[in-house]
Amino acid sequence: MANRMNWLQGKTVRKNTPAGSHSRSSSTPQVQSTSSTIFGGGVKDPSGRITEYSSDDDQCPVCKSDKYLEKKLRLLVSSCYHKMCESCIDRLFTLGPAPCPICNKVLRKLAFTPQTFEDLGVEKEIAIRRRIAKEFNKRLEDFSNLREFNDYLEDVEDITFNLINDVDPAGTEARIAAYREANAALTLLNSQRDEAYILSLRQAEEQERKEKEARAEELRREEEEDRLERESGRREIIEKLERADGSNAAKVIQQTKRKQAEREASRKGVVPGKGAQALLRARMAAAAATAAMKDTPHIPFQDDYYAYDDMFVLQPVYVDPSSEAVRKDREGIMRAGGYQVEEAWERAVRSAVASLDLWPIDSSSDGLQTSNIDQGGDVIMSAA
Amino acid sequence: MDAVEKANTERQKRWVKDQKVGEGTYAVVYRGREASTSTGRKVAIKKIKVGQFKDGLDMSAIREVKYLRELKHQNIIELLDVFSSKTNLNLVLEFLDSDLEMIIKDRSLVFLPADIKSWMAMTFRGLEFCHRNWILHRDLKPNNLLIASDGQLKIADFGLARDFADPGYKMTCQVITRWYRPPELLFGSRYYSTAVDVWSVGCIFAELMLRTPYLAGESDMDQLKTIFRALGTPTEQDWPGHTKLPDFVPIGQFPKTPLRDLFTAASADTLNLLSQCLIYEPRKRITARDALNHAYFFALPYPSHPSKLPKCAAQLTAQLPLEELDGNTLSGKTNRLKRKLSTSEDTKSSRSAVARRLDFTKPTPGS
Repeated sequence: MANRMNWLQGKTVRKNTPAGSHSRSSSTPQVQSTSSTIFGGGVKDPSGRITEYSSDDDQCPVCKSDKYLEKKLRLLVSSCYHKMCESCIDRLFTLGPAPCPICNKVLRKLAFTPQTFEDLGVEKEIAIRRRIAKEFNKRLEDFSNLREFNDYLEDVEDITFNLINDVDPAGTEARIAAYREANAALTLLNSQRDEAYILSLRQAEEQERKEKEARAEELRREEEEDRLERESGRREIIEKLERADGSNAAKVIQQTKRKQAEREASRKGVVPGKGAQALLRARMAAAAATAAMKDTPHIPFQDDYYAYDDMFVLQPVYVDPSSEAVRKDREGIMRAGGYQVEEAWERAVRSAVASLDLWPIDSSSDGLQTSNIDQGGDVIMSAA
Repeated sequence: MDAVEKANTERQKRWVKDQKVGEGTYAVVYRGREASTSTGRKVAIKKIKVGQFKDGLDMSAIREVKYLRELKHQNIIELLDVFSSKTNLNLVLEFLDSDLEMIIKDRSLVFLPADIKSWMAMTFRGLEFCHRNWILHRDLKPNNLLIASDGQLKIADFGLARDFADPGYKMTCQVITRWYRPPELLFGSRYYSTAVDVWSVGCIFAELMLRTPYLAGESDMDQLKTIFRALGTPTEQDWPGHTKLPDFVPIGQFPKTPLRDLFTAASADTLNLLSQCLIYEPRKRITARDALNHAYFFALPYPSHPSKLPKCAAQLTAQLPLEELDGNTLSGKTNRLKRKLSTSEDTKSSRSAVARRLDFTKPTPGS
């Protein structure tokens, strides 16, 4: 059992794994494409580079048939991580869910997946990790500090370990359910973010590919033009030489060549700069759009309006004939509705103070000046 | 042409009307822009029809002009200009893309706690500015909280606004859209204060977390029942004197249930602020100023920067939203989608008629 992974301090608790299934699987694995499998699951890989695992020593632990007897033997893995051959699966599970012949867990035909890894422990761990990663997708930004994020990662690893080694399955599932309920919105958001990120990557890739293609096309076109130009130039020289007399043949050749060089230079000068500049501009615009503004702490007020609070002191009661009716009704219906006559007084006093156009008292200066009480005893005011 | 007329035509020339985006009983809304600059700031021009009303100008138009002229704040819609053309009055308002209701209803958006915090902070800032200037908004609801293209939230629709803190004049209790109306108004209190707006903000706060209206009553009576079912029936100790309010009727006993049962994922200070916004006794209810100093806003995570807040798809096309500028100005199919001030059955009884209508069919109390 050299290749059985001794899971973290040898706490391997995996039960009922048929010993033969991977102790004998040391011989060369055979490569077989998964693209034609009727069963879903396993490792999904659209590129087709990952292939299904199978070996010459494969033997179905249920019917004991092997590669020697049955050339097309194909073993699939159940959700309880037991292997059996396709014909056994057909025989046992065609009539609906039935217990696993090895561990008695109720299985369905569609829940069998092709094997990707030699060690089924790895297979199981990958399935569990994939499931956990889908749910627990918080990011560092979702935490106020690194410590909390690390604690969270520790928790996730703990849950994963429990699931892999079947430690307290009910409790662990409950933990996952509780997490899911508490973080549903965030999980959804993060998965949307991930999708958006993947999409943007794919778009960038596509963009780059197109650019490369366009550049290649451009280069091809240029070469073709060059060739045509050279040919026509040669023809031009020959035509001119035909008409010219022998004495100034060299001059004619020189003239024509100079003209050609000028034409070529003017043509080349324009082309390359434009594309690159546009590209740079687009890149910069994209960068500006993605650069998000930083969140700043909350500031309750953006002005010093309440600095004027210390410029007056509201008295408990004023001589105010117009509010007589209200004041008589101290705990009655006016008060129950939330009306407060003090607000009316405050409004009057505040308006009066504001109209004096004084600066608010600087709280740092300790020398509060002597307050003035006016004749009516209504307002106590102080000015810096 | 006298000086006034001259000044008026000068003002009129500053703005260009582009296209009509909505029409209502008393106003037509156009999208427009500033004429002077070539880029032209986008504006909404609200043309108020004057001739049709025997009583003169509609009350809400007067209120809107009266209060918006006074208020200049980052979180309050800006009234840029007012001018008249022929017999019409034109209000030039800041152009805003969408409103909070559209964002709440857009199921493809996910709100982070930090986003909600940011919206709440902006709402409370705008509201605090109204209150410090002695103005009650009296119609706060998600579709009156407009969102600018840079993400800033702005309080709009001052058609029901009123100044307060006078020595005891009666005010009407038929204000605020029902789902956001506080219990003291439902009990017919004619003397009230800033606490009415804070209750509405509390309902909006809960709605942002639930993504569905928190206290959605079907009639005024049902509204009280819905409130009591959610928050427990108030006792005389919870709310002294409420049994003496004009329209008080005993509604039945409902037990108090902790908010935690409904808002399972909210943090403790979130629930604390919410519960303080929804205190029955209006004088104990938190004020906008105290709310801004509440621990909720200072705790982590910091409120999202406005530019990072979720935006709905419609905002990107920016075609529809102008109609949202003011729920009252529109009729017809667009209005059917909105939360109306009252349902049709309400209009049968004069007592529970639409608040806005009350304002110009009856002599408005204390305005």
